[in-house]
Amino acid sequence: MVPLTEMLYRLHQNSFYFFAIILFIIGFHTMLTHSNLIKKIIGMNIMDTAVFLFFVATGYVRGGRAPVLVPGEERAFINPLPSALILTGIVVAVSVTAYALSLIIKLYQHYGTVDAEEIMRIRRGEEQ
Amino acid sequence: MIVKHAPALLVAIPLVAAYLLPLFARRLKHLVVPAALFALLLCSAGSLSLLFQVMHTGLIIYHFGNWPPPVGIEFVVDRLAVFTVLTLSLVGFVVLVYSIDDLRHELREDVRGWYYTLFLTLLASLYGMAMTNDIFNLFVFIEISAIASCGLISIKEDRACIEAAFKYLLLSALGSGCILLAIALLYMVTGHLNMTYLAQAMLQAAELYPYNLLASLALLVVGLGIKAALFPLHVWLPDAHAAAPSPSSAVLSGLVIKIYAVAMIRLLFQVYPAAFLARTPVAEIILWLSTLAILLGSIFAMVQEDLKRMLAYSSVAQIGYVFLGVALGSENALTGGILHIFNHAVMKALLFLAAGAFIYATGTRKIRDLSGIGQTMPAAGVAFAIGALSMVGIPLTNGFVSKWYLALGALDAGRPFFTAIVLVSSLLNGIYFLPILINAFFRKPSGNAAAPRALPTPMTAAIVVLAAAVIVFGFFPGRMAGIVVLAVHRLLGVWQ
Repeated sequence: MVPLTEMLYRLHQNSFYFFAIILFIIGFHTMLTHSNLIKKIIGMNIMDTAVFLFFVATGYVRGGRAPVLVPGEERAFINPLPSALILTGIVVAVSVTAYALSLIIKLYQHYGTVDAEEIMRIRRGEEQ
Repeated sequence: MIVKHAPALLVAIPLVAAYLLPLFARRLKHLVVPAALFALLLCSAGSLSLLFQVMHTGLIIYHFGNWPPPVGIEFVVDRLAVFTVLTLSLVGFVVLVYSIDDLRHELREDVRGWYYTLFLTLLASLYGMAMTNDIFNLFVFIEISAIASCGLISIKEDRACIEAAFKYLLLSALGSGCILLAIALLYMVTGHLNMTYLAQAMLQAAELYPYNLLASLALLVVGLGIKAALFPLHVWLPDAHAAAPSPSSAVLSGLVIKIYAVAMIRLLFQVYPAAFLARTPVAEIILWLSTLAILLGSIFAMVQEDLKRMLAYSSVAQIGYVFLGVALGSENALTGGILHIFNHAVMKALLFLAAGAFIYATGTRKIRDLSGIGQTMPAAGVAFAIGALSMVGIPLTNGFVSKWYLALGALDAGRPFFTAIVLVSSLLNGIYFLPILINAFFRKPSGNAAAPRALPTPMTAAIVVLAAAVIVFGFFPGRMAGIVVLAVHRLLGVWQ
């Protein structure tokens, strides 16, 4: 059994990953359980942000800084590759969000609501 | 010289064309369709040239900007990639020809130019997914294809389409999140994104960090499973594929979901160490999910009244065959599964296009309103019949060939139960396809089906070409199967 102090220390060392996973679960849960479409999109963004945090944290070096080489200065640098990749990821997330929001606007024009359950009720009512 | 750059051009040409088309739509309207056709013609030529190169040299490795891996991005064109690329070119081109006239009645005039933009963007991303050897690059292509395919659904802008596209977008974003997290977990322990290097580094990582690999495997199976509509993650598919314009349905059902299966095959066979996979129940899980997909997809299809919705549920069942082959893992089963990617692409595209032709001509999509349609629209009717028989797996159609391999493969793997599943599912397919055929050919035409609109020649031509392909590849499966068998050898060589 690992002692509590040791466990807290490890948690502190890996706090980025820990909180990224918690955020991921929050986002996942919001996305699947909320019936408000806007909240679903917010959940999606929380989930994406969690993944970005996780990815960027893999390249982080404690005390490191951005890898800009200055002659005669010895320093620890972070790994810039994950940050560069995540820039792509952010662009993708933004475009998906924009597209999803535009679809929500269209849905609102058709149904007058942004609630998924309300929309289901309206459709069921029309079928009968 | 230019042939050397074929892998990159295959992605670049449709992308560039996609961005030029809206400009054409604004100033030179008459050039939009010829330009799109020309771009895909170039892509088809490119994929044929790739086929010849790969058949001679075995493997093409293309480094972008001459940066060698692990720094640069790499395309590896092996036989699996060539096979996929050929499928994409053939079906994509035929569907594009069909869409020229079909879109006239399905879309408003001002968005038609955008339709081709989305179509070509989608194809570019699918080409990329088939060839890329970089796992982050794969993610980027997956995202492009997700947005483009949602766009192809929502472009119709009626209520059902918007709803279906939103549902698809949301679930697909969920899948993308899972995939990106899996990539992060893999990068964390290996430090590589190139699949070849990843595979080497993972041999060691599997011993040191088994939980990272396990979590990433689970996330990848779920993420790609959502996108490939593996049961029970298929919930978005029936709405999306039924609501979309018919050419979109053909491409989405025929091509898009299969490419994710190809990506999954690559990751399972070429990236994850076989010894590690053998310790996890992933093959068993995929095996049983695909079995459920095959049975339940067909059963759901039986109760549908809408023709396109029925075809969409049948896609859920058919993607099950591909995963069944992957999960069984014997040589014949894998051949059957991969071959089914092509065969199903051809026949499902054929069925959706024929269904689109019925809808175009009669204005109805209810199955029972289509009685006698085979007599009043003989070309489309017979083509639909050929596709349906191929779906059931009648010998001398291409659907028979892949089912044959799958059935043999299940026996090879020592699981005769799954041979029985393949047979039962053929019966189930018969139960929902044959009544439609009987209805179409042996009942008196009534209502709209009695006096259909005349079908434009390009639409008929597209349907006839696909029907001919079903028959030709049913009679002469050797050429395609030959490529697939060699691709399977490469996959299994890494596996063992």
